[in-house]
Amino acid sequence: MDLEEIVVHLFSPPRNTSTNLTTTTGSNFKSQISNHFMFIHYNNCISTQQTFEKTDLEILHETVDNKLKAIEPSYEGIPPGILRRMGKAVRMGVGCALPALQEASQANGIIIGTANGGMEDCIRFLNQIIDYEEGMLTPGNFVQSTPNAIAAQLGLMTRNKQYNITHVHRGLAFENALLDAMMKLRELPDAIYLLAAVDEISDYNYNIDYLDGWYKKEPVKSKDLYSASTTGSLAGEGAATFIVNNREANAVACIKGIQTLHTTNENTVKQACSEFLSKHLKPGEKPDICITGENGDSRMLKYYSAVESVFDEATTIARFKHMSGEFPTASAIALWLACNLHSLPAHCIKKQGTVKHAENIIIYNHYKGSQHAFIWVQRLEKIKPGLH
Amino acid sequence: MEKEQLKQQLKQQIIQFLNLTNVKPEDIKDDQPLFGEGLGLDSIDSIELIVLLSREYGISIQDPKEGRKVLVDINTMVDYIIQHRTK
Repeated sequence: MDLEEIVVHLFSPPRNTSTNLTTTTGSNFKSQISNHFMFIHYNNCISTQQTFEKTDLEILHETVDNKLKAIEPSYEGIPPGILRRMGKAVRMGVGCALPALQEASQANGIIIGTANGGMEDCIRFLNQIIDYEEGMLTPGNFVQSTPNAIAAQLGLMTRNKQYNITHVHRGLAFENALLDAMMKLRELPDAIYLLAAVDEISDYNYNIDYLDGWYKKEPVKSKDLYSASTTGSLAGEGAATFIVNNREANAVACIKGIQTLHTTNENTVKQACSEFLSKHLKPGEKPDICITGENGDSRMLKYYSAVESVFDEATTIARFKHMSGEFPTASAIALWLACNLHSLPAHCIKKQGTVKHAENIIIYNHYKGSQHAFIWVQRLEKIKPGLH
Repeated sequence: MEKEQLKQQLKQQIIQFLNLTNVKPEDIKDDQPLFGEGLGLDSIDSIELIVLLSREYGISIQDPKEGRKVLVDINTMVDYIIQHRTK
């Protein structure tokens, strides 16, 4: 039993209750399934599109040098003395979460998912060590460079001394944060948590991933991302924040299930998708919309095609990476989109389904072809997908 | 270097080191307190200023009491730099 399984077992009731289980099928297939219902209330997003304060996704903000950079607000809630020390990831994370914490000032914890945190500041600090021959170093970059600086800053600024944790599981950092929130809400049913995800484009990460073939070599516009037949994607960044609890009243959406798995085999992904659907949907029920993380990388299309093949003509297929770019916690943007489906523009729709409303939403995303996740979101307001 | 030139250079360095993006050199008066109600710097900034003096002027401030006398305003910093700089 590995650590992942141990954690799930620790927080799981006995198997025969069917409320939580861990499955292992083959050497490369490990998954977590939790169907504790968690309700999303306030949600917020700083992304590469106009999503903060006033949402307008019809106008597509274009790439610059194959990078989709976040549209940052003026961060009026952050004191200038603190703001000037913040790196971009910390700025986006804190700036996105502060309004949410104002809505839920009695939050019982802050749960953040970030693969890299403030990598730009981290590299600046490490370069200082070399440049100044391990001499006197400035503390600012160091303080801001650790991934948990975002949750820590939020705790300090809002004087929230409760549960404060940062999950850094690369492409599943947000999913693990989400799973943590669900487990915490099972332990403390009356609690309320801030759940967030953030990642930035840093020169260091971009250059390494570019050389490793994860970003496109040729200039590609956002709107042409899916028609490009080359490898690599567009770099992206962003932050999304959710206030979650167990109370259905006034909630915008409900997380009904999440499953993560590590595999490079598309057939395993397809099988996991089928099992996920059969576990969560009633017989005869079909997902209304599937939001996939298709990212324009020709090598990665097989996973998305495998998942899409599970759905029939009823289900609408939507994509979002042409808006957000690719980054490890991009699935948080998809969850924000699911919560704000009324804003979903036509350019997100890959295949229009026959269903008349969008209630059951499946989010499928993977990172670098090995870390996969399915999230089942149920909207608590019925709307028509892609017809706005 | 003339004293006035040194003041201008120091103001630019302070803005750069402390990332005071909304402040211009001419906004910092020579006798304006750096901390508290003046420029509004805090304890973390004081460490950044000590590092600035070390890197740019080869000055090492070891005694905190001495630091309090030096990091008062631009005038006190420039006077100290002129007396103690090694580069």
